[in-house]
Amino acid sequence: MAIERIDPELCNGCGICVRICPMDVFRMDEKSKKAVIAYPEDCMLCEFCVLDCPKNAITVTPEKTAPLILSWG
Amino acid sequence: MTEEKVIESDVLVIGGGMAGCFAAIRAKEQGLSVILVEKGYVGRSGATSLAAGLMVFNPDWGNKLDMCMERINSVGEYVNNRDWAEIIFKESYARYEELLSWGVEFNKDTNGRPITNSMGPGYSESLQLTRGQIALVLRKQLDASDIEIRDRVMITDLIKQDGGIAGALGFDRDSNGPLVFKARATVLCAGTSSFKPFAFPVSGLTGDGAAMAYRAGAEITGKEFNFTTRTSAERPAAWIANLRSQGVSGGAPALSKFKNVLGDELPGVPGVFSLNMEFETHAGRAPIYSERPDGKRTAMIGGAASGASVHMSEGIWPANTQGATSLPGLYAAGESYGMIPFGATYPGGGMAFIAAAVSGARAGLGAAEYARSVNTPVLDGDEIVRLTALARAPLERKGGFSPGWVTQVLKNAVIPYFILFIKRGDRMNAALTMVEFMRDHLSPKMFARDPHELRLAHEAKNMVLNAEMKLRASLFRTESRGTHYREDYPRRDDPEWLAWVLLKEENGRMKAYKKPVPREWWPDLSIPYEERYPARFPGE
Repeated sequence: MAIERIDPELCNGCGICVRICPMDVFRMDEKSKKAVIAYPEDCMLCEFCVLDCPKNAITVTPEKTAPLILSWG
Repeated sequence: MTEEKVIESDVLVIGGGMAGCFAAIRAKEQGLSVILVEKGYVGRSGATSLAAGLMVFNPDWGNKLDMCMERINSVGEYVNNRDWAEIIFKESYARYEELLSWGVEFNKDTNGRPITNSMGPGYSESLQLTRGQIALVLRKQLDASDIEIRDRVMITDLIKQDGGIAGALGFDRDSNGPLVFKARATVLCAGTSSFKPFAFPVSGLTGDGAAMAYRAGAEITGKEFNFTTRTSAERPAAWIANLRSQGVSGGAPALSKFKNVLGDELPGVPGVFSLNMEFETHAGRAPIYSERPDGKRTAMIGGAASGASVHMSEGIWPANTQGATSLPGLYAAGESYGMIPFGATYPGGGMAFIAAAVSGARAGLGAAEYARSVNTPVLDGDEIVRLTALARAPLERKGGFSPGWVTQVLKNAVIPYFILFIKRGDRMNAALTMVEFMRDHLSPKMFARDPHELRLAHEAKNMVLNAEMKLRASLFRTESRGTHYREDYPRRDDPEWLAWVLLKEENGRMKAYKKPVPREWWPDLSIPYEERYPARFPGE
């Protein structure tokens, strides 16, 4: 759903996705030295991560769902 | 206790899209120090990174200014600012040449000529851009010009002193303290507003520019108009994926017809933004289908960019055509600047994008000239303390309301078509009651667990303010025009409403007032109404 996965086998830890995502979705994992999806709910499906990843490690799917409205979050 | 860090420059540019990059480059060329701050990443943020086309006007190519202006004036339903529209046409070629010299690429046909989607002979060209690269070229040019870029910095407020603007305050993703930017002139290029719509990937464009300018005492205009673009109903969020599969820009393939569920074709209207889909929906005749010449049908829905006004038709009210505002030291360009060159409906053809370049260059020059005429400001410590507290407040709270929830509640309150697009006084007042509650009770109690969420909290606060602005401006304009339609006032009321609506904070409340369009821009009122305005609204 929206940003789906970073393939850890393909990710080379270059950090481009972490640097460029306009919605600040990614972080570098200190231990694995690879990019991880930290805030998937903020993905807006611009797909610049897919365009810019040199290893084609990133999957974005076309669906996005609205969160359920609970009381405060 | 966190210490604020003060960063000084002659000119501060807020926002790194087309407008901001041109403003920064121009100001730097005047020999001044320039810092550009960007909430996301210059090169991949904003509407600039998504741009598909660029309007270029050139008499040598057979483009005729009077034809172009006549079309803009009538499509915009006569509330467009003709000074700005002419400037944009006339200065487009120089900006185009500059972009070419920096390495921007345009799609070419088999003869090596740039592909144009012009409206026809005499009209300006709309040159197709190779997707994704123009914003990176702009970033490269900022680097080549030795302009300091600060990505991941969100400005929360302008710093107002002695009636003018002395810089801005914000935070970045990684540091603890606030960042205080002190500058002799500030150029606001923070882009358009949106409610983080389900379709258009503009979730970073949350009306920050208009919001911080409003809080600093500027007048804001154009909020009653709407960006009515559409998307596929099957995969509404997949705007980019849909672009790839269709091979064209926009939400539907070119040459498609639009049909309601009965198979009736929707009438075409001038300009690319129309409320036709919403009218059919309101009448109970949805789904609306776009049908290609080969017969393939796709169900479509509107509101793909909900929260935004017509391109370039919203933002800070201009004080001149050099990027100035009513606040000394504050300049603006692009979609944060209410130039209203296109009026109540967008004509299409890459006009917005070139308008950002033209206005950015002018604002950069204007800001540089102003900066040279004043001393570096001395900041008022108390005001910095106040703005710092406001910026950090969500991080300091242990509980409250999450920005994600506030955003979702807001979207549900103001996006439905019968509030945003098919307006009526009683429904808008109902929505406004909810928005006022959010402003007074939810916004001040949002909490953020980290700097990422801190950005979301400020965006939600700005979106609530944008919603209030859109509703108050729409309630104030008691007529219909272009992309502002009211069931209770379905006709254009030229004698009363050839005017612009301005919003300003007075004694803690949002006040609306109107400024008339100059007489020389009025249509001929002796022409019968139906001829003056060929597009019919329901209930007229």
